[in-house]
Amino acid sequence: MRKYSIQTLRILTYIVLTLALAAFLILGAGKNPLQSAGVFVRGIFGSFNGIAEVLVKATPLILAGLGISISFRSGFFNIGAEGQLYIGAIASTVVSMLPLGIPSWIHIILAIVAAFLFGGIWAFIPGILKAKFGISEIINTLMLNYIAFNLTGILVRGVIQDKTDYLPQSPVLQLELPNIFPPTRLHAGFLLAIIIVIFIWWFMERTPDGFELQAVGLNKRAAECLGINVVKNIVLASFLGGGLAGIAGAGELLGVQHRLLEGLVGSSGNTAILVALIGRNSPWGVLIASVGFAALQVGANTMQRQMGIPDAIVSILMGFIVILLLCDGLIMKLVNRVLVKEKS
Amino acid sequence: MDQIFSIAFLTSFLGAAVSSSAPLAYAALGEIYSEKAGILNIGLEAIMLAGAFSSFAAAYLFGNLWIGLLGGMLGGLLVCMLHAFLSVSLSQNQTIVGVALNMFMLGVTSYSINILVSSSTSAFPQVTTFPKLPIPVLSSIPILGSALFNQNILVYILYLLMIISHIFFKYTQWGNSLTAVGEHPRAADTAGIQVYKVQYISAAVNGIMGGIGGAYMVLAQLGVFTENLTAGRGFIALAIVIFGRREPIRVALAALLFGALEGMQFRMQAIGVNLPVQFMTMLPYLITMISLLGSIGKQRDPGNLGKPYIRSNK
Amino acid sequence: MELLEMKNIVKTFPNVIANNDITFRVKVGEIHALLGENGAGKTTLMNILYGLYQQDCGSIFWKGKEVSFASPKDAIVSGIGMVHQHFTLVPNMTVLQNIILGLKEEGYPFIRTDDISENINSLAKSYGLEVDVGKMVSELSIGEQQRVEILKALYRGAELLILDEPTAVLTPDETSEFFNILRRLKSQGHSVILITHRLMEIMSVSDRVTILRSGSVVAVEETDKTNSDSLANLMIGCNLPEQPAKQAHFCGNSNSPVLELNNIEIEKEGVLRLAVSMQVYPGEIIGIAGVDGNGQKELAEAICGIQAVSQGQIRFENQNITSMTVYKRYRKGIAYIPDDRHHDGLVLDMNVRQNLMLRRYRISPYTKHRSLNKNKINEYSKICIERYQIKPTSPDTKMRLLSGGNQQKAILAREICNEAKLIVACQPTRGLDVGASTQVRNILVEQRNQGSGIILISADLDEVMSLSDRVAVMFRGRFMGIIDCEGETDAQLIGRMMGGHSLEEGESLHA
Repeated sequence: MRKYSIQTLRILTYIVLTLALAAFLILGAGKNPLQSAGVFVRGIFGSFNGIAEVLVKATPLILAGLGISISFRSGFFNIGAEGQLYIGAIASTVVSMLPLGIPSWIHIILAIVAAFLFGGIWAFIPGILKAKFGISEIINTLMLNYIAFNLTGILVRGVIQDKTDYLPQSPVLQLELPNIFPPTRLHAGFLLAIIIVIFIWWFMERTPDGFELQAVGLNKRAAECLGINVVKNIVLASFLGGGLAGIAGAGELLGVQHRLLEGLVGSSGNTAILVALIGRNSPWGVLIASVGFAALQVGANTMQRQMGIPDAIVSILMGFIVILLLCDGLIMKLVNRVLVKEKS
Repeated sequence: MDQIFSIAFLTSFLGAAVSSSAPLAYAALGEIYSEKAGILNIGLEAIMLAGAFSSFAAAYLFGNLWIGLLGGMLGGLLVCMLHAFLSVSLSQNQTIVGVALNMFMLGVTSYSINILVSSSTSAFPQVTTFPKLPIPVLSSIPILGSALFNQNILVYILYLLMIISHIFFKYTQWGNSLTAVGEHPRAADTAGIQVYKVQYISAAVNGIMGGIGGAYMVLAQLGVFTENLTAGRGFIALAIVIFGRREPIRVALAALLFGALEGMQFRMQAIGVNLPVQFMTMLPYLITMISLLGSIGKQRDPGNLGKPYIRSNK
Repeated sequence: MELLEMKNIVKTFPNVIANNDITFRVKVGEIHALLGENGAGKTTLMNILYGLYQQDCGSIFWKGKEVSFASPKDAIVSGIGMVHQHFTLVPNMTVLQNIILGLKEEGYPFIRTDDISENINSLAKSYGLEVDVGKMVSELSIGEQQRVEILKALYRGAELLILDEPTAVLTPDETSEFFNILRRLKSQGHSVILITHRLMEIMSVSDRVTILRSGSVVAVEETDKTNSDSLANLMIGCNLPEQPAKQAHFCGNSNSPVLELNNIEIEKEGVLRLAVSMQVYPGEIIGIAGVDGNGQKELAEAICGIQAVSQGQIRFENQNITSMTVYKRYRKGIAYIPDDRHHDGLVLDMNVRQNLMLRRYRISPYTKHRSLNKNKINEYSKICIERYQIKPTSPDTKMRLLSGGNQQKAILAREICNEAKLIVACQPTRGLDVGASTQVRNILVEQRNQGSGIILISADLDEVMSLSDRVAVMFRGRFMGIIDCEGETDAQLIGRMMGGHSLEEGESLHA
């Protein structure tokens, strides 16, 4: 009985603190929190478009977040999701532009597989460096982020450039993920993301390979003593993580932007890291956190458009929630103290 | 192509390189203290942003650049103290703390500049930047003199800090103790050094210097703060620290190199090189990765970098 | 003159009385050995002296005055220095930087390298501890690092040096060099407390020896008035516990060994850590006695495949398994109970069910078609929990929450599973209460009776003696002797072997 109430108290504390901060920020912008709340909610639920936008924005977060959560769970600190997203997008672009003469649904699958492979390789590099040589993956994945971003910049100004207008972007791709809910932007990438969530859940919880990955992440030394190949697992986890981020990039490319350009990915790469953390590295947690963040973003965008409240609020709140999570031990101590005081 | 060798070109290029590498150098210098004490601060970007914004706010609201500088130092300090609290006192994973702070401060500074601008009387609030202060005699030396000694006051302060840091780590007991804390905290602890205190102090230095790094962009370069002003310079600074092997002079030179590469972007057309600019912006990261590969087998990182020190009583 | 007197020291921890009314005295200019097995109380006593612990009762007198050290810093300031078994040197800093770490030298905060170097060098010279102060500690040999540790203490004005198992990391040559250093220290008026279990060393360099057993002082001897035999006796005591009734040896294929180690060697950082040969037969428990740190862990890890051997061959059921992986060895029937269950044996953040699966999640029936079979897994967990009486009984309990005894039983359940042909058990009852220890021992004996071969590595001599059919004594990575345990066993002999004396070759002992 007591345990149940501690959990609810914890969630309540987080919600109350976050809402308090949100109200404070809205007031700081000189606006009415209650009114803003209304605009916020209407922005999301007020139309099919709003809900669709949430799901569209959530798609890359789900995919990249899943990849990151697998990496984190196996002890590989992948903060290079942004780079892997771009590499995946580049690979998809190239495959899409190839005149293969095959039915488009096969072509799309190939493009997505290419994104997975190359995104995976991009993460595999720091993965093998860590597993074999013990070089920290933190700085490596970070560096590869920027290399990938700049590579994109080079390509869209060079070989992949749309020669008709000499803007730094690729030509419009003929290949595209079908729209599943016109007239909104919602594309099949979202469905793909859901399927992958289910697959990853099954993989981590129901297969021996996922079980092994978890063991390695929780106690590398014991895993070694028990006969588990630690190197293989770290490398596998890094490859999977990068691959999924690559698919996220392909999704944005083929479902939303339809051409390769800088900024394709926005800040999804870094946001996906926070999503993985808030989702406690579990597939369903990532799904909920992604949708939650996307909703936050859509609502905040509406608040900005209609009321002039800076949508930077979203970043503040996201960062704040993670910071709260990091202070969890401290928070629970304080909550317990309050509980004890009330009892006596 | 002969243009590249003209004195005027070289001088202006070097001068610009020095100025644009100053924020990187400040941030990197501060990060050295933190990393040598065992804290890997990925949130350097957050610190620079905080410093940049608070320097602008302070300078603009009080109409004084020096108060602006203090504001920048304070902003960076506060953010870094939060990082230290989470990493040292709560023993949380330093990478996660850094990533969270980066997003948080990006939001906070973007939000704040929005509020500041919309509540100010002028449409485009700005401050006049620090003027150039040529040092007599030294600035007359051809090329180098003008590049190095015809700069603003913050650059000169940077030179001083470089030298002080070099002396600190190489020749003082304090530097010795700090290094021990990052390498082998248990040895330091047994020798009577207060590990947590040292880590907090190095975090303070990290925050103040990083804050000045951000403040430099506002107070000495642009005169304004805009959203995401630093645009990843905090991460370049991290690369600089690694590439410079955490030694103050080396790091300063690395910062100069990377700053020069940044400056090259705008001069490539002028010297007739037709490579996309992105080659130049990519180079610092590529170089850093290669240097990391070169350190395979050698123990270059402080022994306890990134790990919280938890004193276990046997 | 009494330099140090620790009077009536009592120190208890939750399960055990570590120091039971101990009185310990050291004279000026004396090398005083502190002898005892693992768990005798030597380290606790010295930790109290050095300020790491506070005693429950009793007082400490230093140079005649009563003192109380709240931390090592206090002890150091008073003139007591300690060199631990695991050095506290920073590898990436120079010798000089390490020696002055945390001190306020002249010229503070600046380091006057030349002056300080000179001081250190002249100090080093007077004790025969010469070392290159400009060198990185990581570039020094272990023996040289030890010199730096001693210099560090002397530089801080230590009059009394506590050395914890100093020769454990030295080669025989370095050891005799080390003794010369001790003699130099003594000649300069310093006193040394030498914590050791090596009888020959005690005899060759100490003036007096205090023997501890089970937390009490059993004797204080003048070294020149005693010998190894009496010391061995005193160290382990003459009374061995009754041996529980064991069934006769399993009469299976007892002519062919289940495990054979042929001249295997393990070398680490230039020092030979293990060099043994042995056979283990089905249906026997062979106990490996010896003070911790003499190669036991290397032996266990070599057999299980975690640590590769640099030489020699390992044969299991007459098959060469020297280069076989850990996984395959387990599949063949080699089970491992590690001494450090939290780091090496369990994933604390997984629950009981998951931990029980850690050795068999890839095989059928627990996995079919790349998918885990929940029912079979649950079934298996329930059987293990019931048979080994693991509490709490819910398989969903996080392993972290189980008591030490239950965690150990979980490891046993997982490893043994009635398929194990060889069990390597390292310190299986360490940290367990009496009840749990008995349960664990009964499980091992049961396995032995069913025909498994068991290697029991334990620093608890009583345990080794009461369970084993044969006993091998390890010292410095080698076996000093392997003896049968039928009837009366010569405890004194075992003690001597633990202290470094080897059995004559070719001689085996039956009582």
